[in-house]
Amino acid sequence: MHEQLETLLEMQDLHMQRRALEEGGVRELETGLFEMSAEEAIDALDAKISELELRLGKSIQERFRSLIGTRQRAVVPVLAGVCYGCFVAVPTSWAAEADPNEKLNVCQSCGHFQYYPT
Amino acid sequence: MQLRDFFSVDAIDLDLNTETKDETLKILVGLFHLDEKSESILFKMLKRRENLGSTGIGRGIAIPHCRSLVVNRLRVAFGRHGAGLDFKAIDEKPVHYVFLIVAPPLEVSNQYLPVLGKIAQFSKEADVPERLAAVESAEGFLQLLEEKGV
Repeated sequence: MHEQLETLLEMQDLHMQRRALEEGGVRELETGLFEMSAEEAIDALDAKISELELRLGKSIQERFRSLIGTRQRAVVPVLAGVCYGCFVAVPTSWAAEADPNEKLNVCQSCGHFQYYPT
Repeated sequence: MQLRDFFSVDAIDLDLNTETKDETLKILVGLFHLDEKSESILFKMLKRRENLGSTGIGRGIAIPHCRSLVVNRLRVAFGRHGAGLDFKAIDEKPVHYVFLIVAPPLEVSNQYLPVLGKIAQFSKEADVPERLAAVESAEGFLQLLEEKGV
């Protein structure tokens, strides 16, 4: 897997965790059942996100920030040849590669980073 | 929605023989048969979640969980550890039963939270630790879920 794609995936997962901790259902479960301190957890997630961000090139960092800020997701899956950021078919040559995750693919239509789940 | 519908026999390991929490998480992630890189990302995310606070909820039960794009649908696994593991659980007692739940960031049917809630509900039943200890096969585990009607 492309090194920066891996970092982007991790960062997005951390952003998801962070967002979930600000919402009712997950926050309630995490603080109730698991006795987690939501505020401390959010601080820890922020610190990790900042640390990971340093691994990204400047343009990738900027694109990630812009996408996560405006559309909540920066990396989207490609399933059955369709980009789940815009539901437009990806070029067949991309999907046909032995491991499309070896490259950092950006959707030509919506601009999301793309990930091909196994 | 029944909890039993989310488990498959090949994602149940009743004879975990691991030494540590990390090793246990790796073994359980392995039950999903993802590629090596996806397994590694998932393991990292689960570890990060554990670092925010243990998912050991007491009475020998832990429910590690996270969302990640490396899975394309909700996946669950169950592992039983005879000797018990140090999971830094809330009650500081060893963990014998581990329910692993992972889901993609966005799901059409949004089952992640309800499934997590149902496992928590199941785990809180008084006789569950004892019943889980007595289960003899993966099918028996599934029958127990059915019997409990969760």
